Amino acid sequence: MSLLRARWLDWLLGLGLGGVFLYAAWGKVLDPRPLVTIIWGYRILPAGPINLMAIYMPWLELLVGVCLVTGFKRRAAALWATALLMVFEVALGVNALRGVNVACGCFSANAEETHNAWLLVLRDLPMLAAAVVLLVFPPERRR
Amino acid sequence: MRELVRDAALLLATMLLLGTASNLVPGRRLAWWGKGHEPPAAGKDYQLVDAGSADSMRISLPGVVFLDDRSAGEFAAGHVPGAEPISYTDLARQLTPDRLARLRSADAVILYGASEETDIEQLLAQELRRRGLAPPYVLAGGFAAWAGAGLPLERREGP
Repeated sequence: MSLLRARWLDWLLGLGLGGVFLYAAWGKVLDPRPLVTIIWGYRILPAGPINLMAIYMPWLELLVGVCLVTGFKRRAAALWATALLMVFEVALGVNALRGVNVACGCFSANAEETHNAWLLVLRDLPMLAAAVVLLVFPPERRR
Repeated sequence: MRELVRDAALLLATMLLLGTASNLVPGRRLAWWGKGHEPPAAGKDYQLVDAGSADSMRISLPGVVFLDDRSAGEFAAGHVPGAEPISYTDLARQLTPDRLARLRSADAVILYGASEETDIEQLLAQELRRRGLAPPYVLAGGFAAWAGAGLPLERREGP
């Protein structure tokens, strides 16, 4: 347990996971419009809220990335990272069960990349684990 | 715990502020509620065409324009003869009035990307439709299908 609370692990996971979130957010923040088609492709949300998700989600990803990397409000960022990754896992899992290989929009709003949905579910798991460690085991404060 | 909830709410508020502000910027704006940005529809916004038919159109019609939305490097490495590069994220600058007039008067406009995923080409077709073009064609299978069918390629830089 003390390992999970080690300060170096907190930084290592923060930098790694934060870097992934920054990389994922960048293209979508620059132009969220293709993201609408990608979210629509998941066939989960009705048409109305899809745009709201495309407008706001990239900024949440960017904020989570910045906070995880810099250490500013890292635990709150880990909470949002956990929530986002769980939403992604559910969305990918639903489509995997349907047998649909969606264009995931994971690292860009470019819909060129389509993969086996189960592989995407598996790929997100280590990130989810890292987010949970950051959330549940924050480093102990120095006295 | 209270601190965590407060910080999470702070991040959420910042997200709302940034998202709202960014969606007021012209050129990247989305309708707040999903109506203004309907997903592109086959038949209405674009028509799919296979590589062989696209090549037949290229040969038999005098004014067929191919638009290639892959990266500059991919374009330079090989493209459909006469194709013009275009980037979906830079349409405002690239679609000059002259170019739009030329595209409107073309016999057919055929869009292609790298491979079988044609989402971006469908969006591009929708944007062109909104600018007064007849529904463009989208090459099914993209450049991979064209090259895979052994159809002619060109390797010079685009205009």
